[in-house]
Amino acid sequence: MNTFILFFAREWQLMFRNTSTLIQPLLFFIIIALLFPLSLPAENALLQRIGGGVIWVSAVFATLLSLESMFRADFHDGTLEQWLIQDRSLPLAILAKTLAHWTATGLLLTLFSPLLCLTFNIPSGQIWVLLLGLLLGTPSLSLIGAIGAAITVTLHRGGVLIAIIILPLYIPILIFGSGMLAQSGQGLNITSQLYALAAILVLAITLAPFAIASALKATID
Amino acid sequence: MLKSNILSVEKLSCIRGERALFEDLSFELSNGQALHVRGMNGSGKTSLLRLLCGINQPEQGAINWNGISTNNNLNFFKCSVYIGHKDGLKNELSSIENLRVYQKLSTRTTSAADEQKLDACLAQLQILDCADLYTHQLSFGQRRRLTFARLLLNEFNLWILDEPFTGIDREGRALIEKLCEQHLNDGGLIVLTHHQSLENSAFKNRLNTLDL
Repeated sequence: MNTFILFFAREWQLMFRNTSTLIQPLLFFIIIALLFPLSLPAENALLQRIGGGVIWVSAVFATLLSLESMFRADFHDGTLEQWLIQDRSLPLAILAKTLAHWTATGLLLTLFSPLLCLTFNIPSGQIWVLLLGLLLGTPSLSLIGAIGAAITVTLHRGGVLIAIIILPLYIPILIFGSGMLAQSGQGLNITSQLYALAAILVLAITLAPFAIASALKATID
Repeated sequence: MLKSNILSVEKLSCIRGERALFEDLSFELSNGQALHVRGMNGSGKTSLLRLLCGINQPEQGAINWNGISTNNNLNFFKCSVYIGHKDGLKNELSSIENLRVYQKLSTRTTSAADEQKLDACLAQLQILDCADLYTHQLSFGQRRRLTFARLLLNEFNLWILDEPFTGIDREGRALIEKLCEQHLNDGGLIVLTHHQSLENSAFKNRLNTLDL
């Protein structure tokens, strides 16, 4: 546990020293989501119907944007190679770093998503459905995305490649997340989607750190 | 006095692309000995060091620490330290904060003496007055000194140093040579690369050479 706290705290310290990494994904998220109501016909019913999906896709893009820089700096200044040869559990360290990264992207934009619900005229009863979905879904986005970030860390322009590798893996999360909103709009039960998102999150938390650690070991040389 | 340790390398080969950098390399290093790895540019000095410290895994051959393979050997990672071309310092942090991260990484327990230890390490490398400067404000030589302060954080038995004297002034070099001598006298092991002869160094009588 000590390792987890150590790496989590280090990541936070670095993020707060470099606030642009904190603000950029959030601003990107808000701007993308706001472009839709501006460019579509101003019909309340239409916006209400697509709102949830748009917010989810914006969250995916914002996460994707932040992924490229996730291991980049640590790789270039030699921190990552030092991590490979310290006597602590690398997967645990990676989990801490990824979750710290999530608090600055996924968690932050989850907290701001109710604001966007207003622009899409999403009824207040459904806002908590969206919040819950994002809260369960965005950590998985960060964890799965970090695998792509680790694979491409040595490449000069890995951003597009991360998107190509990772976006297909995001599809289930996206389907369950936005499907949940559509179902609750029709007054149906959403438990199954919640369970599915939670199951994906459990899988991601337990398996992704090992995949990321192996990917880093394999790519750094 | 550190307990007796042996680093042994058996029939190690390193292949980069289609070119073999070195093949069937074997040597043994024990307490109080330094190994100077020599060779031309591109002869595989850095590759050898990165294999030794465990960043990369050998395709052929074995590296053993006290008879146990170093591959994923946490005990070996605990008592070895590698300083390479990349310094592993964060520009967002001050010198002492950078050093503190490495201290917490290598020690399991925290004590009140930790902070004094950090100051002492910086003082030994004569960069105590830079303690609160951000590392991007440091000169290259000061950054190098800060990297070497990591060696003193803990009782690392094995120091693996890649071109330790690059970018360091004459006093700094003498300082680092003295630290190395002290480490060897205490029973430590050192593997280092350097493109020039080390016959006039402070630890010349403990020096072995390996030509790649």
